[in-house]
Amino acid sequence: MYIPPSTLIILVFSYLLFLLSTDWVMQEAGAWYRPFIVSLFVIIVAAWAYREQNSDDL
Amino acid sequence: MIFDLSTLFGLGVAYLAILFGIAFVTDRGWIPQRITQHPLVYVLSLGVFASVWSYYAATGNAFRDGFGYLAPFIGISLAFLLSPLMLRPILNITKSYQLSSMADLLAFRYRSPWAGTLTTLVMLIGVTPLLSLQIQAVANTVGILTTEASQTTLAITFCLLITLFAIFFGTGRGSGREKHEGLVLAIAFESVVKLFALLAVGLFSVYAGFGGFDAMNQWLIEQPELLRQLKEPSPPGTFQITALLFFTAAVAMPHMFYMTFNENNDPKALNLASWALPLYFLLLSLPVFPILWAGLKSGSTSPMEYYPVTMGIEYNSEIFTLIGFIGGVSAASGLIIVITLALSTMCLNHLILPIYQPNAGQNIYRWLLWRRRLLITALIWGGFLFYYLPDDKLSVRAIGNVAFIASLQFLPAIIALLYWPRGNKKGFLAGLSIGIAIWFVFLMLPVATGTNYFTLANLSSREIIALSLICNVTLFVLVSLFTRSSDEEKASADICSLDTLRRRNQSGLSAKSPQEFIAKLTKPLGQRTATREVLKALADLKIDSQESRPHAMRLLRGRLEANLSGLLGPAIAHDLIDRFLPYNIQSDNYSTDINVIESRIEAYRSNLSGMAADLDNLRRYHRQVLLELPLGVCSLGPQNQIVMWNRALEELTGITNEEVVGSQLDEIGEPWCSIILNFTHGENAHQHKQVVQVKGSKRYISLHKAVIEKSSAHQIQQDGVVILLEDLTETELLEEELTHSERLASIGRLAAGVAHEIGNPITGIACLAQNIRDETDSDELRSMARQIIEQTDRTSRIVQSLVNFAHSGSHLTEKTREIVDIEECIDEAIALISLNKKSKDIRYKIACFPGARMLGDSQRLLQVLVNLINNAQDASPAHSTITIECKKIASSVEISVSDEGSGIPETIKDRVFEPFFTTKEPGEGTGLGLSLVYSIVENLDGHIDIMSPTRQSENPGTRVILSFPCYDEAKVEQ
Repeated sequence: MYIPPSTLIILVFSYLLFLLSTDWVMQEAGAWYRPFIVSLFVIIVAAWAYREQNSDDL
Repeated sequence: MIFDLSTLFGLGVAYLAILFGIAFVTDRGWIPQRITQHPLVYVLSLGVFASVWSYYAATGNAFRDGFGYLAPFIGISLAFLLSPLMLRPILNITKSYQLSSMADLLAFRYRSPWAGTLTTLVMLIGVTPLLSLQIQAVANTVGILTTEASQTTLAITFCLLITLFAIFFGTGRGSGREKHEGLVLAIAFESVVKLFALLAVGLFSVYAGFGGFDAMNQWLIEQPELLRQLKEPSPPGTFQITALLFFTAAVAMPHMFYMTFNENNDPKALNLASWALPLYFLLLSLPVFPILWAGLKSGSTSPMEYYPVTMGIEYNSEIFTLIGFIGGVSAASGLIIVITLALSTMCLNHLILPIYQPNAGQNIYRWLLWRRRLLITALIWGGFLFYYLPDDKLSVRAIGNVAFIASLQFLPAIIALLYWPRGNKKGFLAGLSIGIAIWFVFLMLPVATGTNYFTLANLSSREIIALSLICNVTLFVLVSLFTRSSDEEKASADICSLDTLRRRNQSGLSAKSPQEFIAKLTKPLGQRTATREVLKALADLKIDSQESRPHAMRLLRGRLEANLSGLLGPAIAHDLIDRFLPYNIQSDNYSTDINVIESRIEAYRSNLSGMAADLDNLRRYHRQVLLELPLGVCSLGPQNQIVMWNRALEELTGITNEEVVGSQLDEIGEPWCSIILNFTHGENAHQHKQVVQVKGSKRYISLHKAVIEKSSAHQIQQDGVVILLEDLTETELLEEELTHSERLASIGRLAAGVAHEIGNPITGIACLAQNIRDETDSDELRSMARQIIEQTDRTSRIVQSLVNFAHSGSHLTEKTREIVDIEECIDEAIALISLNKKSKDIRYKIACFPGARMLGDSQRLLQVLVNLINNAQDASPAHSTITIECKKIASSVEISVSDEGSGIPETIKDRVFEPFFTTKEPGEGTGLGLSLVYSIVENLDGHIDIMSPTRQSENPGTRVILSFPCYDEAKVEQ
């Protein structure tokens, strides 16, 4: 199965971010919107990764 | 706070009227296409997925599950973030084959009408409660806001308006295959409305409920129990199952499939949706907590699900109550419209058409349109009945939630569709059946009846979901591994699998022209529909209606199947095309086809790295060498299938690579088919200078062949012949010209010898005859002597001509190079010819560009012109015109002499330059004039050409064209 580089970037980034941020997000004294910040980071990286067409696309 | 029913009704109707208005002006083309087809509109239209579950249910879920309520948002976002893995390949397939629903896709992939029917039935069961949930949400909301009318009346009004909208803007007036831009823009508008409504209510909740964000945070710190609930992990697997469910729903749910694939105008828009839709869902999920907390703080007694609407009531704001209400209406209405449109097509294609099809005499488009409209109405009102009939409204919600889970059972089939070509219809049907059976018995039945008929070791719902999925996958894999796939299924699997590409069957077709296509399709579709469909397919492919080449006919067949698939579904379309437009020979499963292997590698070239990339570069280099080889290369596979057709061969034959690769050799047309076929079957490995007539001109081809032995690699089972075609026409023409020149030269030498040998005795005879004439007294003798002198004069003139001819080819070293004024030469030639008293009454038309000059010998050019004008004069009827033109063409000067005679017969055209060849009466010409002209022109570095008849259709005469290098002063000085 072929995974395009853009998707691979998102997968690896999301996985690493999830590993690094779980404790931070779940801290009892932490702000309630922390999961949204983490999600926003993933979306920003996705926007960057998909900024141009992959040559295999239609 | 209680609202008037009229206010709510007016607001609801006004909102739906705005939707009608948007759809109407868009369909009329009043909104520019750059707006209606903007990728952002597509992204927002996908927001249809955020229905009641995200607008209402999210608040209750957030209270119960804490951050677990984000699972649906994360599931659907993941599907789009990872779109290249699932959504994009499916988009490519659906676009190529016009597949409009999940049922179409599965029926196409597994080549089984049962796959489509089963999928439609499961979706119908899963989606009807979902429809009723939307109706219930709107009715309940109104019930909270007013006590004036029964909720049922409101639900009926709402359903009525939605039905009208879906019928007017969802079904269109065409064949049903067209895009619904009005609908898409209206749905995009709805997405904006619900996002704006939820964000506005969220902000209102923060400021009205707490007085600001800091105060809200402070209040939250004072609620340790709430904070604990918020961050408390859900039971193991719950989050993952929910996320997986919504991940699958992104493709499996009819409304998402419809919007993502059917209404997609530009595949690139999916790139934007890959991150913009997750952003949309992020924004949509953001205000859920503030709304929940503001509701809890206010001590609201309303159900938590309706907090987005009741916040305005709790904090005394009519405007925010109405904003919340409109947001809820938009969330519910969008989903109902799109889901019924999608489901109506599925029901039509997979439940109705397999049982009953319109006969050929009917207007199929109209028939389909009305069936679709009836189905939309039936579905919406079916949803209403599902809401209305049960007494316990809570059970409707529970059934809706459980029904939604059914879509998860399609996940194995979707993954296999893209990534596991081995999966077959038996496996799919077995897996789906067991999964659905477990879902129905252990989840649906207890919720629908309130009784547990069967128990399964006290497993929780999520465990039963996991079990159903595991059983589904296991059975799918096992059955697929132990049963055989049909050839058709294998071909579909190859098309759908990410590792392979679209391929065409290259066998011959029974129908040989578009007219035959129409004739054959008239039986099932009727004359009108068949003609319309064939013409549409021709227009789509930009193929002329007179086209009849096999390649074009195969393309036409493929396009027709795709178009009919959009109209009648893939199962019916495939069956119809297979029955009425069959291939002559069913081609083998061609996974070993060199072209397929090559195109597969080519498509994924950018993904290759390391050794694989090096090998691919090497492959491309070798292929390029063959393609660019200046000799025609044609490689034939088994059964004379054309594997390669290089550029030189394209130029030689005028047949493109695209047209013939993959075809049988006998389909390429004459004369090439016979030449290559005979040579392939012949014993000789080489064949020299075969003459071929191509478009009326003669070509000389040499052929060479080599046999390709079967490869030891099992993937490549090639066993064929490679043929080289060498075009020797140019060489042959040069050789012919050289031979001609040599012959002229030898005749010249012979003529010189003959002239010398004859000249001396003739001179002697003439002298003696003169003596007799002058010295005799006999009149009779004098008369005879005079005749002798006349004959010897004539002989002398012939001899002189021979001498001139002989000398004309042997003066290359003594060329006179002077600047010749061409116009002067033409005038002088005409003056000389006019001296001949026997000349006819001929007009001369001279058109010479000013300053026409060349380098050469003026006397020789004069000789040429006199000869040509003389010939023209002889050929011209009295009172006609001889045109002498002199033009400058690039760096050449072109002199032409045209007459209005009867032209040169085709049979003698090739011989006019031969010495002693003449058509004049004996004694009138020597046949050396044009030969002499030919020699002189060559000596002057020129070229002579004869056009007879001239290109002017009104003149059948002859035009002799002389070309010489033009005199270039600057060049000469250098």
